[in-house]
Amino acid sequence: MTAPKYAELQDVVLDPSFPDLDTALRRGRHIDRDDFVSYTLLTEAQDHLETFYRRYGCELIFKADGYFYLLPTGDKLPRRQLSPGDMLVGQALALLFLDPSTIERGGRVTTEDVVAQLAVVLSGDALIRAFYTTKRRFDERVAQKAVRTKVADGIRHLAALGFVELSDDAKIVLRAPLMRFAEPVRGVGQPAAALAKLVADGEVAMVTEDEPLAAEHDEVAPRENDAEPEAEPEAEPEAQAEPEAEPEAEPEAEPTEEDW
Amino acid sequence: MTNQRRDLDRVIAAIADRKVAIDLSSVDMCFLVALHLRAEGAGLTSFTEQQLEDVFAHASSLVRAEAEHVRRRATPAIQRLRDQRMLARVDGQGVVRTGEFALTRLATGIVEFFLEEDVLTRASLHVLIASLRSAITDVLGAARAATTPVQWRDGVVGPLQVSISELVAGIERRQRGLDVQQESFQGEIRRLLEADWFGALDRCQELLESTSATLHELNEVLLRDSTELLALLQDIEELAVAASAIEAENMAHRLMDQIDRSVAWGSARQRSWSEYFQYVHRYLRDVVRLDPTRALTQRLRDQMAGEGAKFALTYTSAAPIRILRTVAPSRDLPPVTRPRTAREKEPVLGPTENPQAVLTAKVRGLLDAGANTLSTVTAQVTAELEASERFVEAGRIAYTVAQVAHVTVKIERPWVAVGDDMEVEEWDTRGSREDKP
Repeated sequence: MTAPKYAELQDVVLDPSFPDLDTALRRGRHIDRDDFVSYTLLTEAQDHLETFYRRYGCELIFKADGYFYLLPTGDKLPRRQLSPGDMLVGQALALLFLDPSTIERGGRVTTEDVVAQLAVVLSGDALIRAFYTTKRRFDERVAQKAVRTKVADGIRHLAALGFVELSDDAKIVLRAPLMRFAEPVRGVGQPAAALAKLVADGEVAMVTEDEPLAAEHDEVAPRENDAEPEAEPEAEPEAQAEPEAEPEAEPEAEPTEEDW
Repeated sequence: MTNQRRDLDRVIAAIADRKVAIDLSSVDMCFLVALHLRAEGAGLTSFTEQQLEDVFAHASSLVRAEAEHVRRRATPAIQRLRDQRMLARVDGQGVVRTGEFALTRLATGIVEFFLEEDVLTRASLHVLIASLRSAITDVLGAARAATTPVQWRDGVVGPLQVSISELVAGIERRQRGLDVQQESFQGEIRRLLEADWFGALDRCQELLESTSATLHELNEVLLRDSTELLALLQDIEELAVAASAIEAENMAHRLMDQIDRSVAWGSARQRSWSEYFQYVHRYLRDVVRLDPTRALTQRLRDQMAGEGAKFALTYTSAAPIRILRTVAPSRDLPPVTRPRTAREKEPVLGPTENPQAVLTAKVRGLLDAGANTLSTVTAQVTAELEASERFVEAGRIAYTVAQVAHVTVKIERPWVAVGDDMEVEEWDTRGSREDKP
């Protein structure tokens, strides 16, 4: 039996790839086998890192599908939930992940495939209500364009969180963390019971029916000591339902050089 | 724009100008394939019109059994193929009698592509590489013995151009065949899963494993043997360079590129297949095995369509650490002042040179050296001057000669050429005058 590579937490922290891994996990990224360096570090130092992140009020979760992520259970690190629009995009991507037809393409799909998948599961009107407006009358061409834009935004956001990867040839590479979207329906039991357990574990949060689907990502964690100044402006419900009128609020700005 | 680009544009323009197009229906394709196979089977080099119609009727009955007036449709089908240069009349008898037709090179190429079953295997690669090694070794021997351009052409360039190129092209063709086979494997895995979700697991694993093993073996053989082949070709190239056999050198170089390309193909395919293998392997393990009844897809679809409560995934969202930018103090610029130095410089005395004195010394030197005519002196003094200065200088020379030499002039003074662009009236001189400085 070989000795563990990291005897103490200090050894893990001193690993050259730790800063990147730590930053990615704290920003909500899911790490799977395709992130080879980070995934190897996580598997080799899992025990140390579980203890380490527990002190920050987080659980380092490992799923049998082969990916890690950080789940906030306390108040020390801010938490967020995916917007309903991103949830729909994520579930469509998960469906594509399960579809044997993507096998032929090595798990690569296009944005058009995602929109088509959404259109198959939801009706055209439901799709527009989900991503664009709840009004009865709308310009169909503008609405369809807005849906495509919102779906593309959602894909980019999910890529930043490690659910998918955007390749150089404008393809979307599907990754194992997409199975998180199917968690409530994976077991043999009732989905409601599975969902209740996930809520209890803090994995998911329930969305009220009257919450507009097109809302941006909600910030739900208390932020007593959080100095983050990029609190998103609370838009009026009507404005949220009308993407043309709402301000272009970037849900999660990528870190710039100035930030770092 | 490079020459290569210009050539490409010219070729494309020429093709576009000829309005080249191919439009073959599946019946046409089957007709062509049937003709090809019938010719091969019966050893036919050409077909009569009756034979063409028979073959068309047979192919058409297989493709569209319900179709009527098959014989009547044969005529336009044959004409379509002739228009597209798939069939050519080979008897040259015109209207005298019914024609004889043969498949063209284009038709044969298309048919062979669809009938092609040449796929690179370990055995075929071994045979091809062994033949290639033997042929290149023979050519190397011929290159060592070659002393004349004819020997280089017959013993080296010819075999490199024909037999060895064919062998390398054979490897490349089989590589493309393997590419097609891989693509069909990927489609087959999908079809197997769609047809029998859990039951197809073993067959999919088998396909994946066999293709991976094949690619691994091929890559190994290519990497190992290509080094030797490249070394042999390198020797031929060096001998060709030494003998200035440019054609042989280019040919050897081109073949080396082809072999490099084949090796690169092996590495690239193994890499991409490895990624595909891992993805499908995980899919079979994580998706198919864990969901043998394929219920998950339907349940997820129901969840998405709005059945049950809505939920949202939670994730950490720590803000990036903010590091303030270091502020650099601005540098104080010096006040603007007027320069204190004098703007105009005082004139200074320097050595001067009298050009007439220089010319006089030069003319006197030439006269003392034996020059006895004005044209000789003029030619020598103006030899190094620009064309534009020579004419002006000629007048000064005549004046100086008159000043420093004893000059005798005939009544009829002849015009003598000085250089290509000037003539002077000739004077005879008899040494320099001592009374003039």
